[in-house]
Amino acid sequence: MLNVIEFDIRTQICPATLLIALKEINNHSLQLEDGTVKLIFLTDNRDALTTIPESVANMGYSVNVTKNESCYSIEVYGGEQ
Amino acid sequence: MDNLYAPIIGICLVLGLLTGAVMYLSDFCVAGMFRDLFLLRRSVMLRYLALLVVSSMILFELARQMGFLPLYPFPLLYSPTPANLIGGFLFGTGMVLAGGCVVGTLYKIGSGSVLSATAFIGLVAGSGLYAEIHPFWAAFVRSTTFFQGKITIPQILGVDPLLPILLVSVFGLYIIRLWYKDRKLVRLSYAKGYLQPWKAALLLSLIGLSSYALIGMPLGCTTSYTKLSAYFGSIFFKEHLNGLSYFHAVPLKYVQPLTGIRLQGGPGPVFDVISAIQFPLVAGIVLGSAASAAWLKEFRISFGAPLRQYVSAISGGIIMGLASRMAPTCNIWHLFGGLPILAASSVLFLLGLFPGAWLGSRIFTGLVMKK
Repeated sequence: MLNVIEFDIRTQICPATLLIALKEINNHSLQLEDGTVKLIFLTDNRDALTTIPESVANMGYSVNVTKNESCYSIEVYGGEQ
Repeated sequence: MDNLYAPIIGICLVLGLLTGAVMYLSDFCVAGMFRDLFLLRRSVMLRYLALLVVSSMILFELARQMGFLPLYPFPLLYSPTPANLIGGFLFGTGMVLAGGCVVGTLYKIGSGSVLSATAFIGLVAGSGLYAEIHPFWAAFVRSTTFFQGKITIPQILGVDPLLPILLVSVFGLYIIRLWYKDRKLVRLSYAKGYLQPWKAALLLSLIGLSSYALIGMPLGCTTSYTKLSAYFGSIFFKEHLNGLSYFHAVPLKYVQPLTGIRLQGGPGPVFDVISAIQFPLVAGIVLGSAASAAWLKEFRISFGAPLRQYVSAISGGIIMGLASRMAPTCNIWHLFGGLPILAASSVLFLLGLFPGAWLGSRIFTGLVMKK
């Protein structure tokens, strides 16, 4: 069963957004690799829409970004989804 | 307010609006460029700064050759001193802690960031605090200035600027061409309406040229922060502020190229040509960014970050404001204006920025992000 974990990292100072995201991705690396977890980061930081997807791709995970009404949602997942 | 300031105010407001929009859309964060080098071992954004410097260098020299830059070097640039290096170092630390430089803070305020507004309060306070140490610092600057009367490297070498500018530009263009060929200038971003930073760099160099040709100097805004602190300070400590020599200084005396009128200005709480240039620029940057954010439906008054980040923002702002007076002047002045004409003080400021940003990154990860 897929476990979806959401992190609201809006309003954070640069570069806290990226650092928090990287920390949480590392904390959940095993679950991401076996496809049991999907992480969602809510952010209003435009810079993070470049740096998080770039870092996630370098770590070998997949990323999907959508714009919501008040922020962006960055989905990070691994395995077959 | 005299009518003679009207064209200056109008031009600076427009330049500010354009700067704010360009910086917001491309997220052209100079603090991030230096910070990420140490924090993430990522130098990608520094490429765009290099592109901005090289393109400004070429544009400024072309304009000078065509007679559009009667003030060369531009006013408020001085001979080199270790103060530039020390100021750059402190500025680098401050901008990382504040989460943006003197202009980055403005365009982030435009998008509704309360953290950046906090950093701005620190900037204004720090700029004003400098007045307390000015006599001591000015004496240090006087006693350590070298190449007295020479501002740019070509002046120090005793040669016409054309040859050194040409050599640096050709080398710079060669490196930029390599980045272009390796597709290292294009960034993938999921941000709506994203403006590629290489385009932003070119646009900002055009804005800088317009400012230099029309106003007589490139973009700069930190003296207005000192003025703001003097205005607010004089409400509560009028007598004390009157006794501070810094607020009576009038460092800018020049013939404004557009009007041909001799104008002057300084950091004191009076309306002068610095007010006419920098206040509209500051307002324009905030409004240009706010309009862009609103257009993209991204404007939102945002607060709720951990208290530690607010402390970081205000501390960084204070350090940056103080450093911008000690250097003297800020990163935008030195990097977007001074480096393109090979000002020796700007080279020293840049050299100070790197270790300063390193220290800021260490403090940020060690104290601000610590659980």
